[in-house]
Amino acid sequence: MKIASIKLRALLASAVAVSAIVVPAISTQSANAATEITFWSWRTEDKAFYEAQMAKFEAKTGIKVKFTPYLNTEYNAILATALTAGKGPDVMQIRPYGGMANLSDAGNFLALTTKDVPALAKLSPGILAGAQGYKTKSQFGYPYAVSAMGIFYNPELLEKAGVGALPSTWAQLLAAFKKVQAAGIMPLGNAGGNGPALEQLHATVGPTFYGGTQFFNDLVAGKKTFTDRAYIASLQAVKDLVPFMPKGFEGIDYNTARGLFANEKAAFYIGGNYELGYFRSLNASLPVEWMPAVSKATGSAKYVGTWADGAFGVNAKTEQKAAALKLVNFLASKEFGQAMADEIAFIPTAPLVKITDPVVSKINKYRTAFGTPFLNVVGFRYENPTSSSILQPGFQKLITGATTPAQLAKDVQTAVATWHPGQKGKS
Amino acid sequence: MAAGGLKKQQRKWIFLLLTPALLAILTFTTIPALTTLSYAFFHWQGFQRLDFAGFENFQKLFQYPFKDQLLNSLRHNVLVFIAIYILQTGLGLLVAYALFTMTRGQRFFRTVTFLPVIFSLVVVGYMWQVLLDPYYGPINKILNDNGFENLAMPWLGSTTTALPTLVFINLWRWVGFPAIIFLSGLNAINSEYIEAARLDGATEGQIFRKVMFPLLAPSMTIITILTFIGAFEWFDLPFVLGGSNGNPAGATDTLALMFYRLSFGTVDSGANNVGIGSALGVLIFAIVGLGAYFGSNIMRKREVEQ
Repeated sequence: MKIASIKLRALLASAVAVSAIVVPAISTQSANAATEITFWSWRTEDKAFYEAQMAKFEAKTGIKVKFTPYLNTEYNAILATALTAGKGPDVMQIRPYGGMANLSDAGNFLALTTKDVPALAKLSPGILAGAQGYKTKSQFGYPYAVSAMGIFYNPELLEKAGVGALPSTWAQLLAAFKKVQAAGIMPLGNAGGNGPALEQLHATVGPTFYGGTQFFNDLVAGKKTFTDRAYIASLQAVKDLVPFMPKGFEGIDYNTARGLFANEKAAFYIGGNYELGYFRSLNASLPVEWMPAVSKATGSAKYVGTWADGAFGVNAKTEQKAAALKLVNFLASKEFGQAMADEIAFIPTAPLVKITDPVVSKINKYRTAFGTPFLNVVGFRYENPTSSSILQPGFQKLITGATTPAQLAKDVQTAVATWHPGQKGKS
Repeated sequence: MAAGGLKKQQRKWIFLLLTPALLAILTFTTIPALTTLSYAFFHWQGFQRLDFAGFENFQKLFQYPFKDQLLNSLRHNVLVFIAIYILQTGLGLLVAYALFTMTRGQRFFRTVTFLPVIFSLVVVGYMWQVLLDPYYGPINKILNDNGFENLAMPWLGSTTTALPTLVFINLWRWVGFPAIIFLSGLNAINSEYIEAARLDGATEGQIFRKVMFPLLAPSMTIITILTFIGAFEWFDLPFVLGGSNGNPAGATDTLALMFYRLSFGTVDSGANNVGIGSALGVLIFAIVGLGAYFGSNIMRKREVEQ
C-alpha cells in the first residue's frame, strides 16, 4: 500500500514536471499563432465603429482585438478595480487630465515615449497634457481627440422667427432668444436635469466673462481665485439663460434636452462638438449650424472652450506589450483619425486628417483660433473635492434660485483651496 | 454517556452545517469590513495605499465640503426610513389584511402585489423615468390634458419633489414584500384566538387591533430591521434615477451614493478619495450595525408568544 502510494506520488510529480515544461510551450505556440489583446472603452455608442476598425487592424497585423465598451458612468470604477487587482485590458481608453491621473500616478499605465508611439511627437504640449500624470508627469497615453464648446442653431427655425443676423455679443444673443420665444418657438434646448451638462454650458458661455486663458493661467498660478468678480459674472451668465430654457427645465434630463434640439423643437443648443453625432443619430436631416460662443460685449474677446477629450493607453502589466503598442500606433494613425472624423464626428488630434463635415470643420477652425482651456477639466479635477463636484450640483441650485453666483463661487473656492497647490489656503 | 455522545454528535453536525455560512460571512462581510476600517486610517493616491493617516480621513469627513454632503445625505436616509416605514409598512399591513380576509382570488392578488418586487430595478427605473419625463412623459400629459396644469411638474428634476418621488417608486416596487411577510404572520396566528374574540363579541377592527396586531410583532420586527438597513444603505434606486451625484443638486443623495462617489470617483467630476470614502463606510457600518442591534432588541421585547 505504502509502495503503491510512493509510486503514485512519483508519477504525479513527473506529470506536474512534464506539464510545467510542455504547457507553456504549447500556450506560447498558440499565442504566436494568433495574438489576441483586449481593448476597453466607455464608448458604448461607438461599438460598431470600433469593431469595424479593429477588424481592419487585424487584417493588417494579424492581431485580434477584443473590444469591450462599458457603460460610461461605470467605466472608471470597473477599470480602476481591474487595474488595482493587477488585471485589466492590454489597451484602454483613458479619461483626460485629472480623470485618471491618480491611476497613472499609481503606475498602472505604461509610460509612452515617442519611440513607442512616434505620433506623440506631432502633438502640441497643451494636448499632450491631457494624458499626463498629476504628480509624475509621465505621458500615459496618446490623446486621440479634442473637444470644443459652442452654440448649435437651427437656421430654419431662426428664419421662421425672423432672426436675420447671427448674434455676436451676449446682449444680441439674449435678444435673439427673446425674438425666437416671441415667435412661439423654444429658444434653448439646454436644461437643468444634468449637472455636467450645465457645467459644459458654463464652459461655453463663461470664458468671455472671466477672461479665458489669462484667467485660467492666473487661477492655476494662484494669482486669482474663484471669488473673482469676473468669475462670478460668468456664473451669473448661466442664470441669465434660465428664462429661455424649456418648461420644466430643472427636471429635463440630458438626452431629452438634446432631443429637443435634434427634433427641431428648440432653436439653439449650447454644448460640445460631440453632440453633433447624437443630434444626427436622432434626426439625420436636421438643419444644424454652429457658431462660437458670443463675446460679453462688442470688442471683447471670444473664446471656444476646448480640451483633449481622452487618450489611448497601455496597461503597465500587459504581457502583450508589442501588440498593445502596435494597436496604439494604429489608433494614433491618420487613417484611424480620418475614420473618427468621418464616421463619429470627432475632432482627431492626428495631423493631416481632412475634416470633410462642414460643421465639424467650422468648429475645428474656431477652436484653433479662439481656444481656451475648459477650466474645470484641465485644471481642477486632480483631487477631491474637484471644482466640478461642487459646480455641477451648484449650477442646479443656481438655476432654481437655491444659491447665488457669489455663494457658488465661494463654495468652489473653499473646496479647491483644500488641495490645489496654487489655491491652498486662499478664500 | 449516551446523551453526551449524542450532544457531541449534534455539535459536530451544527458545526458542519454552520461552516459554509460562517465562511461566506467571514469572506464577504467580516474581512471586507475590517479591511475598510483599516483603509480609513491611510492616505491614498487613487487606489494606491500610501502612509498612515491616523484619524485625518475622519476629520476631513466632518469638514467642508464633505460635512455638508454627509449631513445632507444622512438627513435623506433618515427621511426615507421614516417615510418608507410609515407608508410602505402601513400599506403592506393593510394589503396583507385584505389578502388574509379574501375568500376568493387571494393567490392572484398575492402574485400581483409581489410582482414588482421581482422586476429588474434598472427596468423599473427606466420605466418610471419615461413615465415621469416632464416633457414627453404620459403622467404630466394626462395632468395637463385634464386641467391639472399646476400639478404637472418635473417630478424627478425638482429638488422638492425628487426624493418623495423616489420614495413613491420604492413603495410601488417593494410594498409586496412587507405584505407577504405580514400575510405569512397572519396565517400563522392560531385561528382559535380570532374565533374566541368573535364569540366574545369583538368587532373586526377590535380583532385586528387587539388580537392580530400584537401577534404580528415578530413580522413587525423583521420588517422594521430590514427597512432600517435598506433605508440607510439605499443606493440602487437613487443611483438608477439620479446618478451617483444624487441629482438634482444632491436632492436624492444618500450615504451609500456618497460612499460610492468618494471611493470610485465620478465620470464627470473626477478624482476619488478612498480614505475619506472608507471613513464614511465605517460610519455607515456603525449606524446600520448599532441601529439594527438596538432596534431588534427593543422590538423583540414587545413580541408575545402564541
